[in-house]
Amino acid sequence: MAETAVRKGKRLPPKAVFGFLLPNFLGFFCFTLFPVIFSFAMVFTNWTLRPAVKMEFVGLRNLNDLLGVRSVGPGSHAGVCSVYAICAVLLLVALIGTLWAHVARWRGVRVGSVALGAAGVVLLAVAVVTGAHHSVWLAGALLILGGLAGALREGEPWRWGWGAVPALLFSVALVGLMALNASMWASHEPRDPRFWQYLFNTVYMMLAMPLSIAASLGLAILLSDELPTGPIRTRLIGSLLCLAAGVGTFLFLLSSGHGNLALMGGLLWIIAMLGFAFGVVSYRTVFYLPHFTSGVAMMILWKALYNPKTGPISTALNGLCDAMGWSWRSPAWLMDFTWAKPALMFMGLWTAAGGMNMLLYLSALSNVPKDLLEAAEVDGAGRWSRFRHVTWPQLAPTTFFIVIMAVVGGLQGGFEQARVMTGGGPAGATTTLSFYVYTKGFEDLELGYAAAISWVLFCIVFTATAINWRFGKTLEVDS
Amino acid sequence: MKRARRGFLMRFALLSVLGMLISMPFFWMLSSSFKPRVEAENADILPEQPTVQNYPVVLDLKPDPSTRRFLGMRYGRWYFNTFFVAVGITFLQVLTSSMAAYAFSRMRWRGRDTVFILYLSTMMIPGVVTMIPNFQVMVWLGFVNTYHGLIIPAAFSAFGTFLLRQFMLSVPPALDEAAQIDGASHWQIFWEVIMPLARPGLIALAILTFLGSYQSFFWPLVMLNSQDLFSMPLGLLTLDSSYGRQTEMIMAAAAMATAPLIVIFVIFQKFVVKGLQLGGVKG
Repeated sequence: MAETAVRKGKRLPPKAVFGFLLPNFLGFFCFTLFPVIFSFAMVFTNWTLRPAVKMEFVGLRNLNDLLGVRSVGPGSHAGVCSVYAICAVLLLVALIGTLWAHVARWRGVRVGSVALGAAGVVLLAVAVVTGAHHSVWLAGALLILGGLAGALREGEPWRWGWGAVPALLFSVALVGLMALNASMWASHEPRDPRFWQYLFNTVYMMLAMPLSIAASLGLAILLSDELPTGPIRTRLIGSLLCLAAGVGTFLFLLSSGHGNLALMGGLLWIIAMLGFAFGVVSYRTVFYLPHFTSGVAMMILWKALYNPKTGPISTALNGLCDAMGWSWRSPAWLMDFTWAKPALMFMGLWTAAGGMNMLLYLSALSNVPKDLLEAAEVDGAGRWSRFRHVTWPQLAPTTFFIVIMAVVGGLQGGFEQARVMTGGGPAGATTTLSFYVYTKGFEDLELGYAAAISWVLFCIVFTATAINWRFGKTLEVDS
Repeated sequence: MKRARRGFLMRFALLSVLGMLISMPFFWMLSSSFKPRVEAENADILPEQPTVQNYPVVLDLKPDPSTRRFLGMRYGRWYFNTFFVAVGITFLQVLTSSMAAYAFSRMRWRGRDTVFILYLSTMMIPGVVTMIPNFQVMVWLGFVNTYHGLIIPAAFSAFGTFLLRQFMLSVPPALDEAAQIDGASHWQIFWEVIMPLARPGLIALAILTFLGSYQSFFWPLVMLNSQDLFSMPLGLLTLDSSYGRQTEMIMAAAAMATAPLIVIFVIFQKFVVKGLQLGGVKG
C-alpha cells in the first residue's frame, strides 16, 4: 500500500510540475528568453529610436562597424589586416589558456617558464623603447606572470615539460605578430577605436581581481579560528580595558592637537574592544559591511573621498609628502586619465575584499580536515608548506568558483561606477563595455549597434568562462 | 603557551588595524554629515561645532541655511518608494523561486535535472544583452514609469531558485513521503512541510533580494523619468548632480540611505552568512 504510493510519487502527473514552475517560467520567457532572441535579431538591423530612420535589415554591418578595420593608406587591403587581427586575438586567447594551464597544474614548466619570462621581458623592453600600444605591455606582463608561475614549482629538478611547448610556440608567434604590428596599424585603423579602448579599460580594471581574491583569502585565514579570549569574565575585563585605552588615546591625542589621529586611535581601540568582547564575528561584520552597503551611496562617498581639493585621501597624501619633504603631489584621481582606473580598482578592492569571497573562503576553510593539517605538522611541514600542500588544494573548488564568478562579473562590470562617479571619463578612461552599451543604446539611441556590442561582450564572457572551465577543472583534480 | 599568546596578540592587532582601516570611510561619512557648511572642506575629520541641521535640510524640512532655499528633494518619498518596491520584489521573488525550487528538488519527473541545468545556465547571460529588449517589452506593456514596471521583471530569479533548491535538497525525503502517504497534495506538502523547514533559506534569499532591490540602480534609471517614483539610489544621484559640491549634505543623504542596511545586516547577519555559504559552495 505504502509502496505503491511512493512509487506513484516517482512519476507525477506533469500538471502538478507545471503548476509549480509556471510563475517562474512565465517571467523567464517574458524577461529573459524573449529578450535574448529579440536582442539577437536586433544585431542585424539598424534599429534606432529616432523616428526619422526606418528600421531595416542590414546584415553584418553592425558587427563590421564594431570589430572591423578600414584602410587609410594607399595600396593596403583591409582584409589582410582583419586576418592579422583575428590571428592576434586567437593567439592571445590560446596564450592565456596555456598560462592558466601552467598555473593550474604546476607541472613540467621550468624550462618553458624561463622561456616565457624571457619573452615577456623582451616584449616589455620593445614596448618601452618603441612606446608601443598598451596591448604589447599587457602581453609582456602576462608572459612574465606565466613564467613566474612556472618557476614557482617546488621539489623536482630542472625538467623539460611538454606542457611548456605550446606556450613557447604561442609566445614566439605573438612576438612575430608584434613585429608586424607597426606596419599593419600604419595603413589601417579600427572602425570603432572606442570599442577597443573600452575593452582595454574593462580588462585593465579586472587586473585588481587576483589581488582582491588574495585579500579575501588572507582575511578569511585571519578569521578562520576563534580568538582565544577566554571566559566571559576575561572578555568583559579585556573589553573594558580596550575601551579605557581607546578613550585615553582619543583624549590624549585630541588635547595635543591631532584630531584625525585621535579619531583613528580611538576607533582602533573601539574595534579591538568589540573584537575582544564578541570574537571573530565582530571583525567579520566590519569586513563584510562595505560589500553589504555597496551601491550608489558608497560610490558618492568615494567620490567625495577622492576629491582632489577637499577629499581626505589627497589631503592626507599631500600632508605626508610635505612632512617628509617630498615634492610629489597627489593626482586628481577620478579626474586624471592615468589615475582614474586605479582609483576605481582600489574602491573595488575595499568593497570586495571582505565580501562574498571572504565568506566562501571562510566556510571552505572550516571544511579542511583538521587531521590532515595535524599529520602534516607531525611530518615536520612548516606553516607555508602546510598551506601550500594541504589547505590550498582543499580550497581549489572554492577558488575555481570564485574565479569564474569574478571573471564573469568583471567583464560585465563598471556600469554603476561610470554612471555615478565619472560619467565614463576623463576621455573615456573609465568607460567599460557595459557602460558603452548603455550610452549607445539610451543616449545615442542606436539600439541595433548597442545590441551588437552586447553580443560581442557575451561572446567574450562565454569564451572566458569556457577557458576557466577547461583549465580550472584540472586545478580541482590535480593539486 | 607563550608562542600561542604572541600569535594571538599579532592576529588580534592585525585584525583590529584592518577593521579600523576598512571602517574609516564610514566614519568619515558620518562625521562629515555633522559638519556645518563652513567646516565642510576642512581636513579635520571631526567637526569643531557639530550640527544636525544637514539632516532636516536634506529631508526638505528646513531651508538650506546658507542659501535660505529648500533643496526640493523628496527624500521621504524616495524612502517609501524604495521600501515599497523592495518589499514587493522580495515577496514575489521568494514565492516564485520557492515554488520552482520545490518542483526542481522535491518532485520527481523525467528530465528534471537537465531542465534545471539549462535554466541555471541562463544566469550567465549578461544583463546588458537583455536590457534594451526588456525596455522595449516594458514600452509595449505600458509599464514604463510605473511601480509594476519596477517590480514584475525582478520577481523571477534563477539564482533564487538555485539557492532554495540547495536548501530543499537537504530536507530528508522521508518527511514528504510520509505526508504523501497520509494523502497530502503537493500544494499541502509544499506549504506545510517544506516551506517551514526551508525557512533559513527563505530568510537568506529574502534578505539578499531586498538588499539587491534596495540598491538596484540600473533598471530604475532606465525605467523612470518622474521623480515621484524615484528610488533611493536615483534620488542620491539627483542630489549629487545638483548639490554635489556640498559635501556635508551629500554625506548626510548617503548616511541616511546606508543606515537601514546596516540595521538589517546587524540583525540578520547570521542568516545572510549561512545562506551565502550554502548557496555558493554546494554549487
